[in-house]
Amino acid sequence: MKNAWWKIIGVLLIIYSLIVGLLTPLRTGISDASPTSFKTGETIEINVQGYNSFYTKSSNELRAWLKMDSVNALTANNIEVLDDRNLSLTFILPAYLPTSHKVQDFTLIVDSPKDGAAILPGGIFVTQDSIDVASGDSLWVNAEITNLHEKETINFPYRNILYETIRNLYYHVPLWFAMFILFITAMVKSIFYLRSFNPVHDQKAAAFTSVGILYGILGLVTGAIWAKNTWGAYWSWDVKQNMTAVGMLIYAAYFVLRASFEDPEKRARISAVYNIFAFATLIPLLYVVPKLTDSLHPGAGGNIAFGSQDLDNTMRMVFYPAIIGWALFGTWLATLVFKITSLKERWLDQQDGF
Amino acid sequence: MLKATKKAFTTFTLLLLPFTLLLAQEETDFMRSMGKMYVVVAVIVAIFIGIVIYLVTLDRKISKLEDQIIEND
Repeated sequence: MKNAWWKIIGVLLIIYSLIVGLLTPLRTGISDASPTSFKTGETIEINVQGYNSFYTKSSNELRAWLKMDSVNALTANNIEVLDDRNLSLTFILPAYLPTSHKVQDFTLIVDSPKDGAAILPGGIFVTQDSIDVASGDSLWVNAEITNLHEKETINFPYRNILYETIRNLYYHVPLWFAMFILFITAMVKSIFYLRSFNPVHDQKAAAFTSVGILYGILGLVTGAIWAKNTWGAYWSWDVKQNMTAVGMLIYAAYFVLRASFEDPEKRARISAVYNIFAFATLIPLLYVVPKLTDSLHPGAGGNIAFGSQDLDNTMRMVFYPAIIGWALFGTWLATLVFKITSLKERWLDQQDGF
Repeated sequence: MLKATKKAFTTFTLLLLPFTLLLAQEETDFMRSMGKMYVVVAVIVAIFIGIVIYLVTLDRKISKLEDQIIEND
């Protein structure tokens, strides 16, 4: 275990991502509101179900709005705290809305000093029988949404549908990043081999590719489990899933190719060339083709990646270390595989010598 | 050797098997309780199982090499 420091760092970073990634609570959110459709001119009551909320601890300081657009919002006339998770909000809707839409969607916002502000985007619908923008404007009692609070403790963003699975960002996504680092290393080692014809580089390339495939398969499996509970099926024949599976098969064929040569030098040369081409096809398969069509996967076509809204700075503090940790751990595994193959080759050479 | 690809496929299906079995019995209700926290648990368990399977294959390779060396000496 000479020069073991990077292995220790890798394992520590993974443990850090497990502990901090699992123990940090989610921000307060609104998981449900019912009913969701109303008519103008009514006094309405909305039952709100909070997530990670502590409504009883700040029951007198709660505020709630129905936000129509960036300018217009209605404030709740009455807020009744049923328990920590349930609120009953009362709003008085005017007879006309200051909009020319027949059905207008509203965003529900609940703010509390203890939990911070929580929103349910576009979850409430109000239908008006006749449209009269002028009366709507005059009847509208606008409430300004000011001084929204933020939760005081460290937390991760709350997202509907995702809920706690947002933490999978630290376990599913770093596998792919680390897989890329491993495949790039394998490709570089293949180039080294073609320049020097030193069999050590070929053995290293094979070792890194092998661990890269392990990470790829794990990435597919973890993605399938995540997809089952957010997209609805393990395998949705989504372009990102399909192309990734194709990429993995291309890399799996690398080992089929290696096994089909008796002569070690021929094997090393052809598989080095194949490895470079495999990496060259992986980039378009994973990052170009999915962007060209619609995909469920974030970062592909019609679906933005975890951007500023989803990947906040708290998440980055776990996400980036996790990538480094998994990459170092994968390198460790790859060196083990390399040591076994190089020992075997050396031993076989010695046998031939006798 | 088609063994490697075959191994990869069995690994893939074996990893999914416990979750598909769970699915048969009201799995979605359980997986989606507690803010879908069990999905995260399942993901971490799957990664752990995958690494263990990989280590087992490595172990086998080493044992095979060990046997060969002992036999020839």
